[in-house]
Amino acid sequence: MVEKKISYESARDELVEVVSQLESGGATLEESLKLWERGEVLAKICQEWLDGAQAKLDAARPSQSEPSDA
Amino acid sequence: MLETSSENPVPVRVISQSIGEYLAKLGPVWIEGELSEVTVRPGAPMVFMRLRDVSADMSLSIMCHRSVLDAVQPLAQNARVVMHSKVSWYSKNGSLSLNVKEIRQVGVGELLARLEHLKSVLAAEGLFDTDRKQSLPFLPKAIGLICGRNSDAEKDVVENAKRRWPAVRFEIREVAVQGAAAVVEVSTALKELDANPDVEVIIITRGGGSFEDLLPFSDEGLVRLVAGAKTPIVSAIGHEKDAPLLDLVADWRASTPTDAGKKVVPDMAEELQKITNLQQRAFRTIASLLTFEKSRITGLRDRPVLQDPFTLISSRREVISGLLDRSFRSTSARLLLGREEISNLNYQVRALSPQATLDRGYAVVQKSDGQILRNPKNVISGEVIKIRLAEGELAALAE
Repeated sequence: MVEKKISYESARDELVEVVSQLESGGATLEESLKLWERGEVLAKICQEWLDGAQAKLDAARPSQSEPSDA
Repeated sequence: MLETSSENPVPVRVISQSIGEYLAKLGPVWIEGELSEVTVRPGAPMVFMRLRDVSADMSLSIMCHRSVLDAVQPLAQNARVVMHSKVSWYSKNGSLSLNVKEIRQVGVGELLARLEHLKSVLAAEGLFDTDRKQSLPFLPKAIGLICGRNSDAEKDVVENAKRRWPAVRFEIREVAVQGAAAVVEVSTALKELDANPDVEVIIITRGGGSFEDLLPFSDEGLVRLVAGAKTPIVSAIGHEKDAPLLDLVADWRASTPTDAGKKVVPDMAEELQKITNLQQRAFRTIASLLTFEKSRITGLRDRPVLQDPFTLISSRREVISGLLDRSFRSTSARLLLGREEISNLNYQVRALSPQATLDRGYAVVQKSDGQILRNPKNVISGEVIKIRLAEGELAALAE
């Protein structure tokens, strides 16, 4: 299932929604499983966004120490 | 008007004479200028000198009797004077000079009064209004610098600017910054630099000097030129206390050449530091945002429903087994209950059933319709009756 690129914020918010639904326990077993799978996918997406951002930051970090002169 | 033509030209003497007559029409005049090249030959009755215009690059030759000059000594170098004179035409070699009858030195007070007057006139025209002032460029491509020849002022400006921004580029014009020539040379340099598109700010500077020394920087022509200049002008004339009109019309007044040097260029090191600080602040904000978000996501991922999905199933399994357990228990309880009921019923049936009596040898007689016979009279002879015995029943005929 190709996950269309959703933004980090919407992935995170949906994840919060999924977790609260699962925790409320109101869903049927089948729904819960589907919710759980969705949760995993969302968590992976969020993690990818964060890892990407972290990589960018780490890449930027070296130029932080010595400022480029004009 | 002389009628002449190539056929009948007129001799030199005629022309020279008419020139002389024409010039004489000027009559006596009071003329003002700056005295220079005063040459006094011992014993010679006449003295020769030059009178220069204070604003324009023009001068006239002057001659006067020695006594006229002596009357006004001591005369400072390049003194500003007013002279009563008449044109004198020396027809012998066709040279013209002014014959001066009286010389008066223009005092400082007079000059000051004239300057104040000029100031009010220019102010009234709005030349000094602040809203005319242009702002100085942050990073000028080139800086025009009009200053005295290898003067301290020039060194101060250049050194201070270079210290703040080593890559600064100057267009330096060394000119006379004193006397009549000053106005002319400064103006020429200003026009040239103002027209140069690379020059984005022009500094006009000179070191300290007497009131007269700084007078050129209050010259009306120069002040108007500065007012009309496209390029922003910085005035750095003399010391803090000096305030030539140039200060009022310039876009920015520097108290000293050093001050001017610092003003026109940013301090590169400082600017770079500001940029690095901004970079670091941006970096810190992003980093903390990222840490916060990461903790939120880990928090969500650690929630049991995600961390250990089996809880989903196990919790349901528990529910199911709980249900099973209960149904099991309730059914077995009911079975037990049923069994008890049955045995009671058996007991009751057995207690109510005649079987025991029949076992003891008794029999029950019934009519064909099942009615129990208790009185022989209730049956007629030959009627079929049923007799129930302990182990069965049989039919019989009544007699």
